[in-house]
Amino acid sequence: MEESKEPVATECREKMTVVVAVDESEGSLYALSWALDNLFPAAVGGAPNKPQPLGRLVLVHAQQPLQHLIMHPVGPAAYATSSVIDSVKKAQDQNSRDVVERAKGICRRRLVEAEAVIVIGDPKETICQAAEQMQTDLLVVGSRGLSKIRRAILGSVSDYCAHHANCPVLIVKPPKGGH
Amino acid sequence: MAAEVGKPAMVVGIDDSEHSFYALQWTLRRFFSVADSTFKLVVVHSKPSPASVVGLAGPGAADVLPFVESDLKKIALLVIEKAKDVCSAFLVGDIQYELVEGDPRNALCEAVEKHQAEILVVGSHGYGVIKRVVLGSVSDHCAHHAQCTVMIVKKPKQKH
Repeated sequence: MEESKEPVATECREKMTVVVAVDESEGSLYALSWALDNLFPAAVGGAPNKPQPLGRLVLVHAQQPLQHLIMHPVGPAAYATSSVIDSVKKAQDQNSRDVVERAKGICRRRLVEAEAVIVIGDPKETICQAAEQMQTDLLVVGSRGLSKIRRAILGSVSDYCAHHANCPVLIVKPPKGGH
Repeated sequence: MAAEVGKPAMVVGIDDSEHSFYALQWTLRRFFSVADSTFKLVVVHSKPSPASVVGLAGPGAADVLPFVESDLKKIALLVIEKAKDVCSAFLVGDIQYELVEGDPRNALCEAVEKHQAEILVVGSHGYGVIKRVVLGSVSDHCAHHAQCTVMIVKKPKQKH
């Protein structure tokens, strides 16, 4: 045996905190599945000596703040009554919960534990802030969110995160041949 | 079900900047520090062509090019050697080094096509770290145009 530097493989792989941004878009759920398949490979089947969980998985969903919606009133109302505000908020909260539940379901099916965080604010900024606060090792985002514009090759949130997040960013593109 | 399917490829683009070597080491630590890694590694360095580096026009240009070319070749080989050094500290089974020529933006996207890579890894800055630019042009281009998942590894700012 040489006394040259020991290969790092003798230690356990360092645990990573991976934050995945999720919303209602198919792109972000695909990003989550990709991350689960490639970053948290499950110990399915034989192999009893597979490495332990790779780290901590946190799902982050950014809920648009209420003002964003109140500024665009639908219908004849000139201002929002408190009951309208309430019902909009309830619908939003429910929507967020649904998004998070769907994402958690995907994780559960692959036998991966995930924490979930819902943040309120502009998605670009709040996702980057949340990632920073959580000492994230890797931030995973889809490439295109709810934008239906075919020519948008990179959505505004993923573009913002690529530029401004202060941790490594993983941008998952939709599979080829997908729509 | 243990079919002999090839491992998906991970392409890591490097130049001679600290940022890209940081990205390479970060990737090795996170993905290749156990014997049975999920990916096979392809390290790609693109050597710029002398014409793109030398902004001269006029009669003198042609004379300078051969010198520039041999310098660029030297630098490129050093980059590959350094990458081999860095990788040798990790248990990477399947690793390929590729030296290509041309604009890194296209070279990396082509390498992704060629290897049908699952993921492309780049540092956040390469040459010429201009303070106001928060993301280098190569990483920005790859984030937009690469066909596969792109991972941008940022070197943390020195806080102390």
